Amino acid sequence: MAYSNKVIDHYENPRNVGSLPKNDPEVGTGMVGAPECGDVMRLQIKVNPETQVIEDAKFKTFGCGSAIASSSLATEWVKGKTVEDALRIKNTDIVRELSLPPVKIHCSVLAEDAIKAAIGDWKRKRGDEAGPNGTSAAASQAE
Amino acid sequence: MTSGLRFPTPGIDERTDMHASPSPSTACWNCGGAPGPGHFCAACGKIQPPGDGGYFAFFALPEKLGVDREDLERRYLALSWKLHPDNFVRAGEYERNCSLELSSALNDAYRALCDPVSRAEYLLERHGVRKEGQTKQQAPPELLEEVFELNEWLDELRSAREAGSRGAETSELRERLEGARQAFEEKLAAVDAELGAGFAEWDAATDGGAGDAARGRAMARLNEVLNRRSYIRNLVASVTRELENDA
Ligand code: FES
Ligand SMILES: [Zn+2]
Repeated sequence: MAYSNKVIDHYENPRNVGSLPKNDPEVGTGMVGAPECGDVMRLQIKVNPETQVIEDAKFKTFGCGSAIASSSLATEWVKGKTVEDALRIKNTDIVRELSLPPVKIHCSVLAEDAIKAAIGDWKRKRGDEAGPNGTSAAASQAE
Repeated sequence: MTSGLRFPTPGIDERTDMHASPSPSTACWNCGGAPGPGHFCAACGKIQPPGDGGYFAFFALPEKLGVDREDLERRYLALSWKLHPDNFVRAGEYERNCSLELSSALNDAYRALCDPVSRAEYLLERHGVRKEGQTKQQAPPELLEEVFELNEWLDELRSAREAGSRGAETSELRERLEGARQAFEEKLAAVDAELGAGFAEWDAATDGGAGDAARGRAMARLNEVLNRRSYIRNLVASVTRELENDA
């Protein structure tokens, strides 16, 4: 498969690989997988509770080059954004930026899902998403 | 398209989705009669263009997941013989095209139905239950966690090997991975058994003429099992590869 230069760049020099302390109340963890191929991705964010700005982001992906590049790019993009702005990142933005071919679209979907799951986890920790009965819809996303 | 030829049905080479194939449902292009089940007209015997009945219908099989491999292979061989382009060298262009399209559809159909997992995936795709990157199909979070953790061990083993270390630390890691591989191979066997049960459920619903609801339930179950299976299979493959590299 011919990867675009941007994919290769992120693949060879992935940004923000690693982890953040999962139990930190300011950290949200998103763990997602792509059933098409069985690849898994973890994306974490650290949010400033005052400003709602994502101050740090880390990822680790066990998957194809496109998934690694998508998650690497996702961490770059979410850093410095508010949580609300980060939620607006779409997998199609990633596809465009990395020039992913159609068969690799699910890899970018994985990155979008990971951002959403991480933010969901963070909100849940803060009690934002507590439903009427005090439980959370996002609880099953990332434990 | 070439001019002098008469194409009673839409020009075959103008169709875009020919590979979706199977048996024709329209009247025979040649005599207007009802087409037979086997890609040839029952009345005039002419080869027919691929229909859109799906891969099961291509082999004149019911849409059931329990497939007898030998029977499928016999059907495949018989059809590849009958549809082979060599049989149509002196036929008209339309028939030659039919033969080419059918022969390639035959191979796609055989490949899809031969393996039970791809057969089930094909069924779900055909019914719109499984679409690349579209339907949200999350796996159970515990499974993702487990798969993730094992991948981290694999990473550790890889870096230890690259660093040239062969000490107690790597052998401990190997042991852990061996154990995990066993556990996951058991999981794979269990998930395959579940898949078998899902096949039986679908086939029973199809045989019994059960309504769409029962068929839908069977497909949802199959989809869920297939999703879990893909993580497990992927992991077993990487652990096996890594342990072999390390041996
Ligand atoms: S091939 Fe599965 S994430 Fe890319
Ligand atoms: Zn006929």
